[in-house]
Amino acid sequence: MPWQKWLKRVADLLEIPGDVMLNLPRIVLVGNLQAFIENHRGILEYNPQVVRVSISEGELEISGENLVLRNILPEEICVEGNIRAVAFR
Amino acid sequence: MFLFRLANFLVGYVTLALRGEAPEKLINMATARGIFLWDIYRTGSQEVRVKVRLSAVWPFLHLARLARCRFHVVGRAGLPFLWLRLVRRKGLLLGGVLFVTGLYILGSFVWSVDVTGNRRLAAQEVLEAAREAGLRQGVPRWSLDAAAVERALLERLPDLSWAGVYVRGTRVTVEVVEKVLPGERRQVFAHVVAKKSGLVKEVLVQSGHPLVKEGDTVVPGQILISGIIPPSREEESAGSPSPRHPTCVRAAGMVRARVWYEGYGEALLKESGQRPTGRRAVRACIKVGEREIILAGPRDVPFALYEASTTVKSLPGWRNLYLPVELVICSFNEMESYTVTRSRSEARQLAGERALEAAYRQVPKGAAVVHKQLDELVVKEPETVVRVKALVECVEEIGVEQPFDPGHSQ
Repeated sequence: MPWQKWLKRVADLLEIPGDVMLNLPRIVLVGNLQAFIENHRGILEYNPQVVRVSISEGELEISGENLVLRNILPEEICVEGNIRAVAFR
Repeated sequence: MFLFRLANFLVGYVTLALRGEAPEKLINMATARGIFLWDIYRTGSQEVRVKVRLSAVWPFLHLARLARCRFHVVGRAGLPFLWLRLVRRKGLLLGGVLFVTGLYILGSFVWSVDVTGNRRLAAQEVLEAAREAGLRQGVPRWSLDAAAVERALLERLPDLSWAGVYVRGTRVTVEVVEKVLPGERRQVFAHVVAKKSGLVKEVLVQSGHPLVKEGDTVVPGQILISGIIPPSREEESAGSPSPRHPTCVRAAGMVRARVWYEGYGEALLKESGQRPTGRRAVRACIKVGEREIILAGPRDVPFALYEASTTVKSLPGWRNLYLPVELVICSFNEMESYTVTRSRSEARQLAGERALEAAYRQVPKGAAVVHKQLDELVVKEPETVVRVKALVECVEEIGVEQPFDPGHSQ
């Protein structure tokens, strides 16, 4: 995708973080207990084993056990529980 | 996060159980509309529990209907629900109001009266007087006039010189100060003796028998004016009926004598040492365990030569538990080394001043200095130090009273 690449180059040149320039999600993990996902596009699936979150390109899958959506705001999702894996699909 | 929780509690929230095939869709719709959801978890394959603020419940339920989700309320929490419960339980509310008013009413009576400061006077007596002035157990506080009770106490008890009535809550403290009555003076017999050695300059007898006269040298402890007056000659010759026993009195009088004091001082011709320059730096640090954190002041001492003093302030411990936190304040005074070279006459003057100062330090208050003299002590071989001896002559009162027992002195 040349447009995306070009944008990334501009972002690197100006040292602007990618999540601002390219509209990418910012994921903060606190150990395996908490995951904060900023810049999301909504929830696709939720059950105690899997949480799938829509992001600007594709989706993000958090798998684990006893997952709980601690809170949901238009800009941020907080997932708590025993996180095993974070994967981009 | 805590503030979120607090806000949730204040506005109130409900826990909803949602049933439907696509609760995720409903959650997305709700967040898109700005409805804040939290603590979302699945209790079964079909059911999802969600917490929603009370203010957002109606819009959320409207959305739920649109998303074809069934729901029911599982739990309610927060201040509005607590308030509702309180309003419903009239008895509890009434009890609370009764409790507060009861506390207020019971708190407006005097429940105990204490007396402090009495020594000779019995506390019961003071309480009795206070009772007649209107201060007793069980009296309402609004009818108590502290100033009037104070006045009445002073009127009723002439032994008091001051009385204070303090109302502290339901406790009234009556503080009294008793008059100090002059005690009767006991008749004692006494001599006037010398407290230091000297040359007697004048003797002035008020009562007693003088044993020294002008020009005598006295030593400490010597009797100057005796309290035992021997029978006088006239009495003896008159053959008075009084027996020939000497009479005993309490001797009084003034004996002034010349007293000498010596002082010694020395000064080096060449003196070197260290003295403070007056510049100082202060460093404050907090010591936590073994680590020191500097709050203010320099990390390194900015002086080459200095004297340090440290004060440590630690928190008071409880039993044998101590917090390992203490405040350490170090102050550094800059010092400098100096060398002074004096001529012989300068050194002599300085040594003389020091010697005089040492002598004056021994001179008591009220003594009149009549003469002073400085002598340089010269040794055979030349020295680098000048030694001076000072001699100060004063005229001062040297008599002190010393009681005696007339029975044994005879």
